[in-house]
Amino acid sequence: MPASPVKAALQDSMPIVTAYFPIAMTFGVLSVAGGIVWWMTILISACVYAGGAQFMLVGLVLANSSPVSTVVTVLLVNLRHFLYGTTLGPAFQKWTEKHKWIAAFGLTDEVFAVTSSRLQEKAPTPLYQFVFVFACYGSWVAGTIAGVGIGSAVPTAISQVLGFALPALFLALLFLGERSAAHLIAALSGALLAIAATLLHMGSAGIVIGAVAGATLGLLAREYSGKLRQKVE
Amino acid sequence: MPPVLIETLFIGAGTYLLRAGSLSLGSRVTWPSWARKWLSFVTPAVLGALLGPMLLLDGKGHWLPVTHNPTLIAALPTVLVAWVSRHLLLTVAAGVVCFAVVSHLF
Repeated sequence: MPASPVKAALQDSMPIVTAYFPIAMTFGVLSVAGGIVWWMTILISACVYAGGAQFMLVGLVLANSSPVSTVVTVLLVNLRHFLYGTTLGPAFQKWTEKHKWIAAFGLTDEVFAVTSSRLQEKAPTPLYQFVFVFACYGSWVAGTIAGVGIGSAVPTAISQVLGFALPALFLALLFLGERSAAHLIAALSGALLAIAATLLHMGSAGIVIGAVAGATLGLLAREYSGKLRQKVE
Repeated sequence: MPPVLIETLFIGAGTYLLRAGSLSLGSRVTWPSWARKWLSFVTPAVLGALLGPMLLLDGKGHWLPVTHNPTLIAALPTVLVAWVSRHLLLTVAAGVVCFAVVSHLF
């Protein structure tokens, strides 16, 4: 007898559920320590539901970035989700349009990674996928609520020290990801352009410029080093 | 409406449309390989663009001398922990402890 899809989905979601809770809690503490009110912090987790993007949103709000730059920067970072949907699309062909639009809400990096690796075995049923996706989402929102609860009780001296958690997190994301020379060039040129733009009083447009130009320079560096290697061989 | 609320709603709606729109378009759309590669460099570039001013400038957009910049000094051991451990929460925790020590010494 096959295992029930609900049980299988809950089992598969466990690694993500346990990983999401402490990260979401960190987000809740940081966001409240940065001066974003508790209900707004929970709303961010409930609406945006994307780890890196949410931390960036808080960083941009604290840096007094203009609303347009903030929205453009965070959506640039989330553009990669377009690839996730396109990659998974064929496996969901038999689903109704409505079911696709429900399941897509929870398509984060981690959910994509697990879903796409399970596709090798069999295509997901709507029931399995809904339970899987919303168990992860539940953990994310619950973790945020827990973090908000702790964050409001943290005294000012400690919340000032906790402010460093934001740059520490960005450094961690940068050096935990793929760390090729091309990726470091993308990061460094992004940093230099954003600093130059700030010194020239161009406001937060520097982050968008840094993102687009940095990514392009990283891509060019990758392509150029690939061509060099071909010539050597 | 506070700006954070507007930003959250726009980013939430935009992210959802990216996720759902692409799943719905599904097999009909294939991205060229250069676009896929370019997207993989957007995240490090944005992280760099956020970190640069955070680590080197003060809140008003002026250079901070290294001797008055605990954030930059604490960033160095943080990078080391990230590089060696490859662990997200450990890096953040170690970074905050380093920053607490450095700011206390200043």
